[in-house]
Amino acid sequence: MTAVIRTQSLSKWYGNVLGLSDVSLEIEPGITGLLGPNGAGKSTFLKLITGQIKPSIGTVSILAEPIWNNVRTFAKLGFCPEQDSFYEDMTGWEFLTRLLSLHGFSAAEIEARAERALRFVELAKDKDRLIRGYSRGMRQRLKVAQAVAHDPQIIILDEPLNGLDPLGKRKVIRLIKDFKEAGKTVIVSSHVLPEIEALTRSIVLLHQGKILAQGDIHYIRDLIDKHPHKISVMCSNPRRLAARLVGEPSVQNIQFGPGPETIVFETRDRDVIFGFLPRLVVDNAIDVEEITSPDDNLQAVFDYLTGK
Amino acid sequence: MPIAERGYAHWDGTFVERRFPWWPITRLGIRLAFKRKFFKPVFAISLAPAVFFLAGIYMSERIEDFQFMFRGRNGNRLLGVDPAFFKTYFTFDTVLFLMVMLMVLAGAGLISDDLKFNSLQLYFSRPLRKRDYWLGKMATASFFLLTVTLVPGLLFILFKIIFSGSFKFLADYPWIPLSVAGYSLLATLFFALYTLLISSLSKNRRYVSILLFLVYIFSDVFFGIFYGIFHEPAFCLLSIKCDLQQVGAFIFRVRPQYDVPWIYSFLVLTAICSLSGFVLKRKIRGVEVIK
Amino acid sequence: MPRNALRSVFSFFFFIGRKARKTRVFFLISGLPVLVALVIRASRLFAPRLPVDGPSLFNNVIMAFDLQFLILVLALFYGTSIVSEELEGKTLTYLTTRPADKTAIVLGKYAAYGLFLLIMLTASVVLSFVVMNIERLADPDAWTDMLGGLGVLALGLLAYLAFFTLIGTFLKKSVLFGLFFSFGWENVVQYFPGSTQKFTLMHYLKSLLPAASTGSPGKLSFLMVGLQPSPAAASIATLLVLTAGFLTAACLVFNRKEYIFEE
Repeated sequence: MTAVIRTQSLSKWYGNVLGLSDVSLEIEPGITGLLGPNGAGKSTFLKLITGQIKPSIGTVSILAEPIWNNVRTFAKLGFCPEQDSFYEDMTGWEFLTRLLSLHGFSAAEIEARAERALRFVELAKDKDRLIRGYSRGMRQRLKVAQAVAHDPQIIILDEPLNGLDPLGKRKVIRLIKDFKEAGKTVIVSSHVLPEIEALTRSIVLLHQGKILAQGDIHYIRDLIDKHPHKISVMCSNPRRLAARLVGEPSVQNIQFGPGPETIVFETRDRDVIFGFLPRLVVDNAIDVEEITSPDDNLQAVFDYLTGK
Repeated sequence: MPIAERGYAHWDGTFVERRFPWWPITRLGIRLAFKRKFFKPVFAISLAPAVFFLAGIYMSERIEDFQFMFRGRNGNRLLGVDPAFFKTYFTFDTVLFLMVMLMVLAGAGLISDDLKFNSLQLYFSRPLRKRDYWLGKMATASFFLLTVTLVPGLLFILFKIIFSGSFKFLADYPWIPLSVAGYSLLATLFFALYTLLISSLSKNRRYVSILLFLVYIFSDVFFGIFYGIFHEPAFCLLSIKCDLQQVGAFIFRVRPQYDVPWIYSFLVLTAICSLSGFVLKRKIRGVEVIK
Repeated sequence: MPRNALRSVFSFFFFIGRKARKTRVFFLISGLPVLVALVIRASRLFAPRLPVDGPSLFNNVIMAFDLQFLILVLALFYGTSIVSEELEGKTLTYLTTRPADKTAIVLGKYAAYGLFLLIMLTASVVLSFVVMNIERLADPDAWTDMLGGLGVLALGLLAYLAFFTLIGTFLKKSVLFGLFFSFGWENVVQYFPGSTQKFTLMHYLKSLLPAASTGSPGKLSFLMVGLQPSPAAASIATLLVLTAGFLTAACLVFNRKEYIFEE
C-alpha cells in the first residue's frame, strides 16, 4: 500500500527543548494510533504533519506533497485539534457552515455537508444553540464534525476522547471506525492504551520525542511479555500463599511487602497465574482482599522499553 | 453516603482565623507581574521621576553649586522643597501616566485572567473568603502603586533631612508625612479599585489593557475639549487626572489649579471606587460556587 | 490566490464581528464624539452666546478628537486583534488547516474589520456633523467639507489598521507597543519641525485637511499647529503605499512565521 503520510528524519526543537527527534515513518490508509504519555511529542508530530509548525530538520509530505503553506493539501486533510477552543458566539451550525465556506463549496453544498456532518456526530438537534452552551462532549463532537464535514481523505484527531464520559467515548470510537470503513486514513492520538486498542492494531509509540515502537499492537504487547509481570496480592496469610507459589514454575520472584499483608510476585505467564490463583486461594482458605497488577499500565510499558 | 455532585464545591468548613490569608494571592500576583516581559523596564522607568525629584532635593541643598543652571533666576524659588514640591511630584502628569501603565502591565489580568480560566472556583473551594480574594488582588496592585507614591514620598522627607542636616523641614511642615501617607493611600486605593473594576469587565486581558488606558486618557481629553469650549473649570471633574490633582492640592495645602472645591473631585473619585466595589461584588458572585 | 478564499474569509469575520460583544463596546466608544456634540448643542440652549459656532466646533473639536484619538484607538484594537485573537482564543488552527491561503486570511480579516470600523466612523462623524451643523444642513459646502474630513479619517483608519495588523503578526505585546506608538510617537513627533514630522502617519493625514492646502488655519487651527504640510497628492500616495506596504509585510510575516499556542 502507498504511504499517505511520509516523514523523513523529522525533528523539532522549541528553543533548547526537544519536541521531536528523528522521526521517520510512513503511514498507510486505515487507522493508526499515535500513543505516548503527556509530553511524548504526539501533538508536536501532529502539528508538523498538519502544517501548523515547521520542522527544524527533516521533511513531511502528505500524498507526496509538502504540507507547509500548501493549500491544495488542506482540501484533503481534516484536523481535530486537542484544544477546546471555538468561536463561542457562533452556533454549531454557523461554525460548521462558515468553515465549510473556506473550502469554496457552493451554498447548497455547504448546507448539505453541514447537515450530514452534524447528523454523523449526533448534533443535528443542537445545531442552533450557541457553542458556549454546549457540554464538553458536544464540543468534542463538533470538533470532529468540522474535521470531517468537507469529506477529507485524511483525518487527524488529536486526543479526540479527552474529557468525554464513557458514552461519549463509545460514540466517537464508533465514528472513527466508520471513517475507516469509508476508506479514509485516520490518525488518532491518545495517551490511553485501551482507547487505542479499541480502535486499531496499528500503532506508533512516542517517548521523549522519539519513536519507541511502531507496528502491530500485539507486537508491543509481546515486548511487555519479555519483561516479567508483577502481581500484588493483599491477603490474610501471605506466607502461606507464598509457600504455595514458590513451587510454581511460572512464578519467578516473590517479595513480601510493601504492606504487612501483601506479597508481590513476578511471572512471565500472567494468563497461567490467573488461571490457577483462584483455586489456590480457595483450597488453602486464604482470605484475599485485593489482587492488582502494579505494572499493567502504559507507564510500566514505557519504563521497560526505556530501560528504567 | 450520598453521591457528591461533580465539580468544585464551595468550601463549607469553619474558617480558622489566620493572619493575612490574602497574602498568597498577593505574593503570586507580584511574582507573575515581574515574570512578564517589559514589566521590569516599565517598573524601572516608573521610578525615574522619583530619582529626578530626589536629585532636585540634593540640588536644593547645594543651590550655590548649581546656580549656573538658573541664569539669573532665583534658584531657591525654583528648587525649593516645600509642600508644593511634594504636590508636584505626586500629581505630576508623567507619574500618574506611569501608574496607569504599571496597572496595564501588572493589573490588567488580576481578575480577567481568573474569569478567563475559571479560577474563581479554585479559590473559593479553599478556605478563602471573598474579602480575602479582593484584598489579595488589591494588595497586588497596591504594592506597585505604593512603590511610586509612598516610598518615594517618605524617601524625599528622609533625604531632605539628611541633606539639610537638620529637622527644620519637619519643624516647618510637621504634617507633611501625614499628607504623603494620605495622598499615597488615596491614589493607591483609587487606582487599585479602578484597575480591578476594569479587569472584572472582560475575560480578555487585551481589552482590559486598552480600556484601562482609554478611560484615563479620554477622561482628560474630554475635559480638555469642554474646558476649551466653555472655559468652565467645573469640567475638570470629568478628568481623573485633574480630580487627583485637585485633591492632592488640598492634601498638601497648596492652591489648586482649578477653582473648584476639592470635595467635588473627592466625591467623583469616591463614586468610581464605589462603582468598582459594586461591580466586583456582582462579578465575583456570578460564579455558582460562590455563596 | 483564489478570490473565493478572500471573499470567504471576509464574510466569515464580518459575520463573527457582527455578533461579537467587542463590536458593541467599540460602537459605543465611537459614539463618544456624538455625545460630546450633543452636550455642546444642549449647552447652547442655555448659553447661546458661546464664543465659537457649531461648524467651527465640529472642525476643531470633533474632527481633532477623531483624528488624534478615535481612529488610533479603533485601529489599535482591531488591527492587533487580527492575529492576536486567533492565538489567544486558540482558533488559528481552524483557519490554517483550510484550503485558504494565509494571505487571504490576513487580508480577508483586515477587510472585514476595516469595513466595520469605517461603518462606526462614518456613523460617528455624520451624526456629530448633523448635531453640530443643524443650521447648515442645506449647505452643500458643509457636506463637502464633512465628506472631505471623513475621507481623511477613513484613509487614516485604514493606514493605522494596516500598521497595527503588521505589528500584531509578530509582536506579543502588540497593544503596549501600539499605545506607545499612538500616544507617544504619533502624538509627539508630528509636532517636530522640519522633515522629522514626516516620519509619522499623522503628518500626511493632516496635510490632506482643507486648512493645510488653503493655508487658512481658521477652520482647523488646532490641528495645524506646527504642521509643514506635504502636497496632497504626495500625502495620499504615501499613505496608500504605506498601507499596501504594511499589509504586504503582514502577509509575508504571517506566511513565514509559525505560531505556537501558549499552554
